Amino acid sequence: MKCLIIGNGAAGINAAAAIREKNKHAGITIISDEGIEVYGRPLISYYLSGKVSYEQIFYKGKDFYNEQKIHLDLNTHIAQINLKEKIAVSTDGKTFPYDKLLLATGSVPFIAPTKNLTNQKNVFTFLTFDQADKIKHAVKPNSKVVIVGGGLIGLKAAEALHGKVGSITVVDLADRILASILDKSAANLIEKFISKKGINFILGKSVGEVYGDENVQKVILSDGQVLDCDILIIAIGVRPNVELAKNAGLEVKRAIVVNEKMQTSDPDVYAAGDCVQTRELLSNEEKILAIMPNATAQGQTAGFNMAGEDIALNPSTSMNAISFFGLQLICAGLTGGQEDNLFVDENEYKLRRLNIADDTLKGFVLINDIARAGIYTDLIKNQTKLSELEYDLKQQDIGLNVYNKKERHDKLWEINQ
Amino acid sequence: MKKVYPLEDKCLGCGLCEVYCRTAHSKSKDIVKAHKRETTFSAITIEEVLTPKTIKYFALSCRHCTDPKCIMACISGAMFKDKDGIVKNDKNRCIGCLSCLLVCPFGAIKKGADGKAVSKCDLCIELEEPACVANCPNEALKLENVK
Ligand SMILES: Cc1cc2nc3c(=O)[nH]c(=O)nc-3n(C[C@H](O)[C@H](O)[C@H](O)COP(=O)(O)OP(=O)(O)OC[C@H]3O[C@@H](n4cnc5c(N)ncnc54)[C@H](O)[C@@H]3O)c2cc1C
Repeated sequence: MKCLIIGNGAAGINAAAAIREKNKHAGITIISDEGIEVYGRPLISYYLSGKVSYEQIFYKGKDFYNEQKIHLDLNTHIAQINLKEKIAVSTDGKTFPYDKLLLATGSVPFIAPTKNLTNQKNVFTFLTFDQADKIKHAVKPNSKVVIVGGGLIGLKAAEALHGKVGSITVVDLADRILASILDKSAANLIEKFISKKGINFILGKSVGEVYGDENVQKVILSDGQVLDCDILIIAIGVRPNVELAKNAGLEVKRAIVVNEKMQTSDPDVYAAGDCVQTRELLSNEEKILAIMPNATAQGQTAGFNMAGEDIALNPSTSMNAISFFGLQLICAGLTGGQEDNLFVDENEYKLRRLNIADDTLKGFVLINDIARAGIYTDLIKNQTKLSELEYDLKQQDIGLNVYNKKERHDKLWEINQ
Repeated sequence: MKKVYPLEDKCLGCGLCEVYCRTAHSKSKDIVKAHKRETTFSAITIEEVLTPKTIKYFALSCRHCTDPKCIMACISGAMFKDKDGIVKNDKNRCIGCLSCLLVCPFGAIKKGADGKAVSKCDLCIELEEPACVANCPNEALKLENVK
């Protein structure tokens, strides 16, 4: 059996490992248009800051591909898939036949239409090692850096460049940073903390126009404000990379459509990771959950099924663990709009907010007060009835003591789990 | 494989498991030096159970799950399962994002003493018996084969 995997990220590599776990003899080929072995994509900001060396970014050990007998084709971009003939074709005309195919093509950066923005030399996105490396070499101690987008990726770029450049300004159209994962109280607290480190925020405005031919020299905001700019990083957001799937004729909505086994509309073609939409636990709707834990789980599920198993993906939800300048944020589920169950200690930059509805936990946000957060995540995943727990979540820190003695014992001893 | 299991009814909450875990994972392996001069961290924690009348305790450490959620959530690849089934954290590659803590359903993972890497139980594989089990005065920790 020939398994072909397009994309050498978290989803692709976990799929390959899963196939190998179940089938010692299957041929496994991974194709990547990047130039290096699989790395922890979120680590590019740590590489940019210097906290992590080139050697430390790799997600698997050096011998992984060899040991697992996985063939890796780097610097190869697949331009087309022919579902009938079951082949993938690269830009330079090489063909790759398959019995089972996995699309693990990840995300592409979203770039909003901006007047005068062409391919200026000092404009970057921040999704790959290559891009991080280019930024690393382009910045100078006096660079004025403008980052468009105050989401996770934009803020991680800002953190990485802090102390290495002249100034950093983050511009975002939303009224707060991290708007897609945080409510205002939590976002404001983090913004206050990061601002103190010397990063400028301009919120509620977008970049309408840039000025400069070979290099962008100025950025013009929606309200006419003009910012000097030596380095422009565009981090507004990402979109699922679905072009290959679409052109091949696979069913694509907002992202590639898959069933519980991660099969696309062609049963021999699977898809996993940032490029798919899957059932979100709380809304019961198909959503793009472009985060690492989901990419790995989806990749693994796809891999098992490609190897002939029959395994369904557990529905998941949004979740994040990130730190900014040492301020630790952990959140999951629906943040909710209301300010109920909010505990804030502004001086210590501590925050805890529980989104409780229908006697269940729907989401939580924790800042600098994060101990045992995974138990909250588990309560969300299981939609546990809160009235059946040993105490009121609002009154006490979370711990396994929230369960009764028998349940706790059974969990710890793995009885009936 | 074998794992450390807590016996809640026997736990006195004395904290010796924490003390000996910290010592076993120190550079000096000396109980006094480990606590006074090193920043080692205990991978086992005494957890309190408050009931209206009493306080009870149990000792919590990594369960070395069959399908470890922490490995799936790890953004750097630092968390892995070794050939013996022990879930380990490669400190050299851990950047301390705490994605593992976000998904551990037991609350058994903690931020390391260095503020960076994550601290968790490694079952003291180099020792005959895990330090916590060997030094529990009331046999409240058991090393048992996984059922
Ligand atoms: C800076 C940054 C920080 C992040 N931080 C976090 C975090 O803290 N926590 C978290 O959970 N998530 C984080 N994420 C998101 C996380 O990295 C992604 O969810 C995850 O990498 C998705 O994995 P994937 O395998 O689906 O896709 P990817 O890792 O994007 O891999 C897809 C691969 O496919 C290749 N490819 C695409 N099309 C083709 C083609 N036609 N031919 C050949 N190759 C192709 C791409 O080049 C890429 O290498 C972060 C992302 C970034 C960029």
